[in-house]
Amino acid sequence: MPSYDHYVILGNGPAGNNAASFLRKNDKDARITIISDENIPFYYKPGLTRYITGDLSASDLIVESLPNYQERNIRLRLGQIVDQIDPEKKIVFLRHKEKIHYTKLVIATGSRARVLPAMRSYAGCLKHITTYNEVLEFKDQIQAANDFFIFGGDLVGFKFIKMLGSMGKKVTLLLYPNAFWPFTLTHEMQETIVRNLEQEGADIIAKDNIQTIIEKENTYRVKTVKGMEKKVDMVFSFTGLIPSVEFAKGCGLDIDHGILVNETMQTNLPDIYACGSCAQIYNPDINSYTTSIGWPNAVVQGQVTAMNLLGDHKVIESVGRKYFDLEGVKIKTTWWEGIEESSSI
Amino acid sequence: MKDINIVIEICGSAGEGTISAGEILSRFMSAQGYEIMSFDSYPAEIRGFGKCVAHTRISSNPIYSPGKFADVLIALNDNHSISQLSALKNQGILIYDSQPARPHEEDKSVLGWVDPGMTTYGIPLTMLAHRAAGNSRGRNMVALGAIAAIFHMDKEGFTASIENRYAKKKKIVIDSNVNSFIEGFEWAKKHIEKTDSFFFEEATMPLQNEKLIINGNQLVARAALDANLKFYAGYPITPATKIMEILSKELPRHGGTLLQTEDEIAAIGSVVGAGFGGIRAMTATSGPGFALMTEFTGLSVMAEVPAVIINSQRGGPSTGIPTKTEQSDFNAAVSGGTGDCPRVVLAPTDTYSCYQATVLALYLAEKYQTLVVILMDFFLSNSIRNIDIPPKPSEDLLNANVAPRPEELENYQRYKITENGISPRTIPGTPGGIFFATGLEHDEYGRPNYSDKGHLKMTEKRFKKHAAVLSEAPAPQISPLEGKMADIGVISWGSSAGAAREAVMLARKEGIYAASFSSMMLSPFPEQALIDFSDKCKKLLVPELNYGGQFANFATHIIKRPLERLNYITGRPMASEDILEKMREM
Repeated sequence: MPSYDHYVILGNGPAGNNAASFLRKNDKDARITIISDENIPFYYKPGLTRYITGDLSASDLIVESLPNYQERNIRLRLGQIVDQIDPEKKIVFLRHKEKIHYTKLVIATGSRARVLPAMRSYAGCLKHITTYNEVLEFKDQIQAANDFFIFGGDLVGFKFIKMLGSMGKKVTLLLYPNAFWPFTLTHEMQETIVRNLEQEGADIIAKDNIQTIIEKENTYRVKTVKGMEKKVDMVFSFTGLIPSVEFAKGCGLDIDHGILVNETMQTNLPDIYACGSCAQIYNPDINSYTTSIGWPNAVVQGQVTAMNLLGDHKVIESVGRKYFDLEGVKIKTTWWEGIEESSSI
Repeated sequence: MKDINIVIEICGSAGEGTISAGEILSRFMSAQGYEIMSFDSYPAEIRGFGKCVAHTRISSNPIYSPGKFADVLIALNDNHSISQLSALKNQGILIYDSQPARPHEEDKSVLGWVDPGMTTYGIPLTMLAHRAAGNSRGRNMVALGAIAAIFHMDKEGFTASIENRYAKKKKIVIDSNVNSFIEGFEWAKKHIEKTDSFFFEEATMPLQNEKLIINGNQLVARAALDANLKFYAGYPITPATKIMEILSKELPRHGGTLLQTEDEIAAIGSVVGAGFGGIRAMTATSGPGFALMTEFTGLSVMAEVPAVIINSQRGGPSTGIPTKTEQSDFNAAVSGGTGDCPRVVLAPTDTYSCYQATVLALYLAEKYQTLVVILMDFFLSNSIRNIDIPPKPSEDLLNANVAPRPEELENYQRYKITENGISPRTIPGTPGGIFFATGLEHDEYGRPNYSDKGHLKMTEKRFKKHAAVLSEAPAPQISPLEGKMADIGVISWGSSAGAAREAVMLARKEGIYAASFSSMMLSPFPEQALIDFSDKCKKLLVPELNYGGQFANFATHIIKRPLERLNYITGRPMASEDILEKMREM
């Protein structure tokens, strides 16, 4: 029996692409569409910092080139923004006023840089390393700049600081303990991180906060609450990620920070699944929902989602690479086994 | 200062103002001092909602071809624009309606099909047009306003071009269009975050002379009037109708007569009749009409009566593809018909030479008492250029009939054998100049004569004219070779010649030492010039818009060596990009 399913996958990251690949392998006839607001084929996001240094070229970042999608008969819609979902009529509305009809929907939109409420008035001064396009905009500027101010310090942030150090740039880090939101660094963790980063030449400020950032003639004057003042060339913010799910609000999907799914990655609405860092997965052990980050988790979740879309009843399990080594501190990439346990690592 | 070289396409449905927006853009750019070449494609059906594309190339430097791919696509109609995306460069810019009246069904939105690398700017065309004029008719002007803002064009100059375009309309029409343009301009200026790097500021604008913005059909009509045309007979047919339309108004004002006949047979019959009567006459048609005229073309040659036919080629055979360009009537023009039938065939290579070809055709037809065919095509007929105003023809081109001397009238031989094949011709009513004129083979007096010797003698006489015509023909256009052997020689004709010339220039920049050859005169053909040229080229290429390589076959017989061919029948004009690609492969 030929399949008449139209799998629409929102998001062109590891979760979405792995779901698409698995679906295609096991359902040759279905229509598969991937929609992404980014205008670049599937790329390796963790490689962005190496792209900045020039260790990787733009083409090195590409995981799946466009002809591969054509060969596998997967329709790739790039640079297209989802405005809303109508779960009753099974329609995805795109911002450019096009309706996409689905039979099964996978939400794998990932996450974006979190900007703290207190920092929103300076949002225009802050740079993030979350997407290729963001990086493309200031890649050359980084090469030319000398003084950097980093606020926060999540996984990408620490990687970035190391990279700047290797490029001989001067870095000031204002460590923000909640950068790993929803995970908070303990005092001991902060101490270890500060020690390690200082050894690499970074200037670390702890237990302080930003008061103002003023832009003047392509430089930034950063003032902290405790009165420290710095004139720098660029200011970056690394305060963790939040799920990109704004478009799904109000359509009937249960959403906390991310889209709430059960252990089989299914949402509260029929034929809609969510996976990757935009999803919060139910953990029966703690009777609550947890978010996971990191490429390997996303890959597994994408596959499990696809299996369940095809009629299986696969329950998600945490994956092999559970920890990031963060300046000597091990941080779990999933809180699947409980936040308390993770915090104690 | 920087050079501008950009292709902008506007794609919409018939009735959406696509072509008029393209025309305004072209006129504005010309007024700004740029070279322009624009070309519209539209559906064959007179009524309906088919796809229209206004294609405009704008450059600081001379333009030879329209450019295969667009830098900017303005989508007035999503459904039609989806297929037009294939003509947008990979790094091109798409302007689309971000607030259509109704959401698009799946796959019916142009934005749904853009490739990564393209820049997209959504403009609420419908909403802004309503705001400006209370209806959506001004979407085309909103789009022009948006590109004017995005590419930093002169707002006041653009507005003036719109006012000029609608100057003969009611004030409300002018205001609606101007207001729509301003809405688009102001909205884009405020809301569009420019991510492309293209702008018109500080661009080189080399054109200083007064320019004529005109297409091939208009220029043919103008040339015919300047060259003393006094009679036109025709039957409307795409893409030649415009010539008749213009002459229907202008010819009577110039003391001439235009006759719309019941078909093309009657049209050429009338032209031959008028030519016999001693006045300059012509008709214009396309493939199907040209096929019908075959019988009378033979009569023109046999009876040695001046006649000019303009054949603007379109996709064929038969009624074919009326609104697509092609170069597939070469064989029909040069050797179509019955018998040994030497005729003159001219093929203008660009808009400007449509004027020269028309003046020359009327001159040669009159002087050599024969049929002259001008081979244009849909592209040449309709593409708009801004050209230098052509000088009026000299007196000797206006009065070319070789009349008999008084002593020749004593024993008047209408078909007297002469060295160059031209027999002095009397106009009916000339005392002593009575003669027989017939389609039958004849003797010097025009009396039917079927003897083998007589037929040979008269055939030779008719062919002798070719050598004389060639001595008056414009020289072929050949790129200088500076004593070196060219890697590749590109031999072209008609509207493909511009693309060939441009491809040769691009090839030289890439290190391929190429050269081009094109001749307006196709019959008689400057054979020796082609042989000399081919001797200086290691390889040869003939690009043309037909399937069988009609001109390539013809050229092979002259140069007697193999050549490469580039043939396509997509309905689009020849592209320099394709010729260059072929050269790289050779």
